[in-house]
Amino acid sequence: MIEAAKTIRAGEEMLAEIERRSGQDVSSCYQCGTCSSTCTATLAFDYPPHLFMRLLQLGLVERALASRTAQMCYDCMTCSSRCPVGIDVADVIETTKNIADESGRSRPPKEVALFRRLFLRNVCRHGRLHEAGLLAWYNIKSGQFFNDLSLVPLVLRKKKVHLVPPRIRQRRELRRIFRQAKTKPGAK
Amino acid sequence: MSKYAYFPGCSLASSSMEYDTSFRLVAREFGIELQELDDWNCCGASPAPHHWVEVLGVLLAARNLHIAGAGEAPLVAPCAGCYNRLKHAQYKLERNQELRRQTSEVLGEEVRYQTEVLNIVKMLNREIKPGALAERARERLAGVRLAPYYGCLLVRPAEVIGYDDPRDPKKMEPLLRATGAEVPHFALKSECCGSYMGLARKEIVLRASHRIIEAAVAAGIDALVTACPLCQQNLDLRQGQINRAFGTSFRLPVLYFSQAIGLALGASPEELGIDSLAVEPDVDRWLKGAA
Ligand code: SF4
Ligand code: SF4
Repeated sequence: MIEAAKTIRAGEEMLAEIERRSGQDVSSCYQCGTCSSTCTATLAFDYPPHLFMRLLQLGLVERALASRTAQMCYDCMTCSSRCPVGIDVADVIETTKNIADESGRSRPPKEVALFRRLFLRNVCRHGRLHEAGLLAWYNIKSGQFFNDLSLVPLVLRKKKVHLVPPRIRQRRELRRIFRQAKTKPGAK
Repeated sequence: MSKYAYFPGCSLASSSMEYDTSFRLVAREFGIELQELDDWNCCGASPAPHHWVEVLGVLLAARNLHIAGAGEAPLVAPCAGCYNRLKHAQYKLERNQELRRQTSEVLGEEVRYQTEVLNIVKMLNREIKPGALAERARERLAGVRLAPYYGCLLVRPAEVIGYDDPRDPKKMEPLLRATGAEVPHFALKSECCGSYMGLARKEIVLRASHRIIEAAVAAGIDALVTACPLCQQNLDLRQGQINRAFGTSFRLPVLYFSQAIGLALGASPEELGIDSLAVEPDVDRWLKGAA
């Protein structure tokens, strides 16, 4: 009984934290489902956005923190622009994701994490994104050698690719930016 | 003569060169001077705003704002993604002193972040009167049904972007109408195409983009018009993958805003990089239809 009370209290505190950081009132969601009907990412989610809101309302914050929804939402904000109450649903999800991340409660699926990591490494090296390099590295590192291979002849024919990476002059400044961001995260 | 600092971004410098070419052409035609931002870097794009990378996204964009701040001209970023990141960084820097301090520390001087940043729609609306375009276009695209597709990054979140309606945007319409084209309402104009999940979670992109193409075809639309390279690639470059996944045989062209305007000005498809689109429109038929 006491354990249950503790869990409830912890859930309430975390919900308050999510509401404070996102500036949104989770309790004002009346479960109309508009957000979920417009969301294009639900097939990668365990809870569509309206159920995600419901989890929070019920104080099941741990589930929300550990959810794939928090990790896979790509913040397109379509849901937010449609919500009849004016809740910024995307911000609620994003805030939950940030809290999950800061406290090490969940990680993005490995392909998504890999894509983000390689993207950033690519930008850190050259200052600009080398798309062909990103695709090649992604396929090698993920073991999906044939991912998007069907696009290659098309991309070559349409001259949509540079084989040599573009580079900026001030690459040292770029590395300073990456170092700064890594050592001093969380400046919200 | 109006002058702008021009931020092409990584896509326009490589896989979406036709957007760069056609944008420069339209600017030239209306006597707008574009000066490419010196030594610009990647805006941070989609993966940067996550987690520790939240700060990184701001710093990457801020370096560009800082370079632009050295000059007088406003900054134009035709890529909706870059535009969104630049506006986002500006918004954060404006409101967070600690972030400003950190940014200034990395840059080695007080960060200049207040340059006006415009997307292509806002800029062309400012520079080109629909009447002036209509006069030069002489109804060239009459009979063609062109529907604007705005997607997400160009219009959301409203408090950061502050231009056009986040749910029912309309600002591409006046210039598109001035081309002589018919501009029908497109219900999915601000839905998401699946974003940057093309490599890691392809099924999301294929499904979301399929839905958009299917709706456009059902509405009898001849081509969608976009201002976002990521949307354009998901809808156009991946249209073959979409057809294979869903057993469909759509051939719906997806043009850049500047290509549509360029066609109305009488520029040739080659000059506008129309042949770089995976699904090429039959421009001859379009122009003949009007003649
Ligand atoms: S659209 Fe708004 S009110 Fe409706 S379910 Fe989603 S969050 Fe709740
Ligand atoms: S912001 Fe996230 S939850 Fe909302 S519609 Fe987009 S992907 Fe779905």
